[in-house]
Amino acid sequence: MSSIETHAKDAGYWAGQMVAVSCKRDRDSFMRIYDHFAPRVQLYLKGLGSSEAVAEELTQEALLRLWQRAELYDAARSGLSTWLFRIARNLHIDRVRREPQWVPVQDALERLDEPEDAGPSPAESYAEHADLRNRIERLPATQARLIRMSYFEAKSHQEIAGELGMPLGTVKSCLRRAFLRLQLGVRRGA
Amino acid sequence: MTPRHHLNEATLVSFAAGALSPEMTAVAATHLEACRDCRDRLAHAERIGGLLLGQQQANELDTARRARLRHEMLDRLDESTQSRRDGTIQTRSLDVSPSDPDGLPQPLQAYFGPTWSALRWRWVAPGVHMIRAAHTSRDTLLLLKIAPGKSMPVHSHQGTELTQILQGAYDDALGHFSPGDAADLDNETEHQPITAPGMPCICVAAMDAPLRFPGWLARKLQPLVGL
Ligand SMILES: [Zn+2]
Repeated sequence: MSSIETHAKDAGYWAGQMVAVSCKRDRDSFMRIYDHFAPRVQLYLKGLGSSEAVAEELTQEALLRLWQRAELYDAARSGLSTWLFRIARNLHIDRVRREPQWVPVQDALERLDEPEDAGPSPAESYAEHADLRNRIERLPATQARLIRMSYFEAKSHQEIAGELGMPLGTVKSCLRRAFLRLQLGVRRGA
Repeated sequence: MTPRHHLNEATLVSFAAGALSPEMTAVAATHLEACRDCRDRLAHAERIGGLLLGQQQANELDTARRARLRHEMLDRLDESTQSRRDGTIQTRSLDVSPSDPDGLPQPLQAYFGPTWSALRWRWVAPGVHMIRAAHTSRDTLLLLKIAPGKSMPVHSHQGTELTQILQGAYDDALGHFSPGDAADLDNETEHQPITAPGMPCICVAAMDAPLRFPGWLARKLQPLVGL
């Protein structure tokens, strides 16, 4: 489970590695990120239903984007794992959306909030990160399960409801409570 | 325009997770474009995703395979350092400028075309016009235009219905809904919107199950909504 060992290498550590990639194009730092995150991203993508081969390919692609877009990384705005999560999710969506109408709207939304406001200091965001992690660990079992199913199996509420034999309304209100509980300690953006 | 009715937390989590259908995504993105508040909450939902990603217990792949992938990555770092500047970030070219008042919200353009003026409304009932998006997945995506001061039939929902108000306004038991507002409803809601006087109310709605209208309008609308 979550040992002291893994906690030691935390948000601050990974943000530091990423800053080295961003400012100095430091390959060693990048490969440390790669070694740690690539297996996790791959597991995440497999959970979303990708085959082993596709998960492997998209993982390489996601990490390569991290390298290519390193100069866009802003430690004050998002943790490295959040950034990577968004990259991997967007790659996954682009892969599964075969509809001709599909437009990757997530990317466009991210550009709406370019840093006009200073945002939190990195130290603040590491503290928030630790706080959020604690809150996730303390979620009641059902809420924790629903949150994980939502993120790691990317299931619709209807599918989750069917699988757990719960009414749809209960699934949604339970997710809502979980989200609010995880939000409590967060300073609201102005 | 500061929206007063927002996306449900469950919807934001699904949006962050990439689990919403393309149609729900289009409506949610239309709201998010107009709502800084929900964008902040979305950022929080993405932080949760990032944290869970970091907490994954990575089981060891077989080491030979890992080594090969690692090698491949190192090679690609070299090649991409050289070609890094030739536009790795592609933006979809827009048909209309975002500031053009005739432009539809960007997430809807792929479904309904770029401009308001080119929309081809179909009459479905007195005071009600509609356009149903073609080429959708299982979900339905509709633009609805309802004449001012009109009472819509009471209806309820089997699944989830997500509506974003684009023009005009309506009132129902949940409050007053005007441009920028989202109505994020599930199957427990039964409501009867009444459009505000003055101008027609135009909204975009995605639904994952057919609407149930009682009475005469059902017979008229449901063939069009696809029951
Ligand atoms: Zn909102």
